[in-house]
Amino acid sequence: MDGDRGRARARAPAVGRAVSEPIDRRTFLKRAAAVGAGATALGLGAGTLIPRLAERLRHPWDADAFPPPGSPRVAVLRATSYDGDLEGVVLDGLRAVGAEVDGASVVLKPNLVEYDPGTVVNTDPRLVAASVLAMRRLGAASVTVAEGPGHRRDTQFVVTSSGLLDALAAVEAPFVDLNTSPLARVRLDTSFTDLGELWLPRPVVEADVVVSMPKMKTHHWAGATLSLKNCFGCVPGRVYGWPKNVLHWAGLEQSIVDVAAAVRPDVQIVDGIVGMQGNGPIQGTPISAGVLVFGTDPVATDATAARLMDLDPGRIWYLSQAARFLGQGDLERIRQVGEDPERDAVDFEVLPPFERLKVGSDAGGSVDAGQA
Amino acid sequence: MTTLFERAAVHLRERRVEGGFGPSPELAPEPEPTGLAAIALDDVDAVAWLSDHQRADGGFEILAGPAVTNDAATATAAVALGPGAARERALDHVVAHRARLTPTNPEAPHDPDTRGWGWTADSFGWVEPTSRAVLALQLLRPSAAAEIRDGLSVLADRECPGGGWNYGNSIVYDTLLPPYAQTTASALIGLQGALADPFARGMTTLTRLWSAERGGLSLAMTLAAFRLGGRPEVPEVERALSDELRRTDLLGDVVALAWTAIAAGPGLERLRWVAP
Repeated sequence: MDGDRGRARARAPAVGRAVSEPIDRRTFLKRAAAVGAGATALGLGAGTLIPRLAERLRHPWDADAFPPPGSPRVAVLRATSYDGDLEGVVLDGLRAVGAEVDGASVVLKPNLVEYDPGTVVNTDPRLVAASVLAMRRLGAASVTVAEGPGHRRDTQFVVTSSGLLDALAAVEAPFVDLNTSPLARVRLDTSFTDLGELWLPRPVVEADVVVSMPKMKTHHWAGATLSLKNCFGCVPGRVYGWPKNVLHWAGLEQSIVDVAAAVRPDVQIVDGIVGMQGNGPIQGTPISAGVLVFGTDPVATDATAARLMDLDPGRIWYLSQAARFLGQGDLERIRQVGEDPERDAVDFEVLPPFERLKVGSDAGGSVDAGQA
Repeated sequence: MTTLFERAAVHLRERRVEGGFGPSPELAPEPEPTGLAAIALDDVDAVAWLSDHQRADGGFEILAGPAVTNDAATATAAVALGPGAARERALDHVVAHRARLTPTNPEAPHDPDTRGWGWTADSFGWVEPTSRAVLALQLLRPSAAAEIRDGLSVLADRECPGGGWNYGNSIVYDTLLPPYAQTTASALIGLQGALADPFARGMTTLTRLWSAERGGLSLAMTLAAFRLGGRPEVPEVERALSDELRRTDLLGDVVALAWTAIAAGPGLERLRWVAP
């Protein structure tokens, strides 16, 4: 897989201080304004401490840790049902985007934040099982499925009731509860929050390839939850709680960027066969988008998936920030394979505060996150 | 024929590491599983591990970085420690480290005049950590009347419409959120009859929920909640838990295993609170 990302994960457990000054978005905006005003008042120019500080505030990430994005391929493949040859579709998708897993230890991270039999909260277990088989067909040395449910402390209940354990038993794949896994202390190369570091599960940190497998859903605090937001499930509940509320306190949208930049999912498979609209990620209603989205750049993948939901990726705050350093957000530079994200977009309903995210909406800008 | 307690105790003892208990097999000890195992097994080594790992401020924290301190196991550890200075310091910590007062949020409303206890220090109060603290204080430090009252207010405020509790949001964006078995059991264990009406509704809710939520932790805490809540004979719950233990070993979750041993064994009496 991508060598830079592998090395980044390999060095991640080092204990140390954040490279950049820790800061959240609101503090950043406030300080940036203050710095600008102060510099003007004092007549300070380039080469002084203040411009360097301002630069760090403007770019809360370590540029050396994030290679410039290229022109990644993102594949949108038609899939209208969880029955049939899903393994074949997943194989086609992974090959279309050049996912390399030969000889690799692979961790598949689906979304099982919660279980509700009345709706479609979770990445469908049949897709997860099909992905296990596809990874093996592509030569993966091992494939593990891992998740740390965020609302329910009883992981056994979630993975049993959702049908995931049975699906994995059928393909003889192990499940790992990330809430009770051994942990590694990971220094953050970003400082959108003031967390500085995270404790992340070793199965994720030490995997050669991490595959983020979100459900295509709206999100009542962040607009949409896709492969970047799905990385929240890697954060262990036994440190951060159920829900992982400390991330909300640190700034939900900022935390999404920091956590995703720490996990750096190498491959993404978005379950849009049936997604969730409205009051997602838990209480929304099912909507058939009829697609699977594949990529090796989480920003490009999420931007494409957002377009398929009829959302403007540039208006989703965390995605727009991630596009500054974590992946390719320039739609002109994303090589689309398969279905057309605009032609095949499905009108996902959103809550009123997020109407501004819809493609063609008059209102721009991002939405502030709630706290609870 | 071995009892559920005996089987759970054997499994649990096999999980001992360095004198304490980790959250899953082979992991280093942490305060919550060690505290629960100490209660379940009346285990002096586990108590010694707790004593050795208590911070100077009386709290118990699990792995955390500079910006996050998870001290939610302190109340459980206080119960496990037994009478003495270490327990008193733990209770001092519980009293002194409530959640932050937080303005209400119209999308996810709560009573802004209540605090409760959070999973992590200086954050928001949630049902499970608040339930643990209420139990520890009602059992061991009833003089902390203001803090107990606050904790009870949080549990009353977060009750789901119709009864029972989830993690702690009952309404989000005008949608009523449903209760869960495990968190309802947690609140009932904390209350044990305090807040009579929410307690009664919670027992009814748990009776409705438990058979559909058959994870080991949910079943074990359900069994404990029923037995502490005045329903000592619930053979159907015990049977379901026993089957789950036999079939899945509770996926190696030591916290679930310890709760099983507590619910089915003599350790349960250490959690029993009788209203004065």
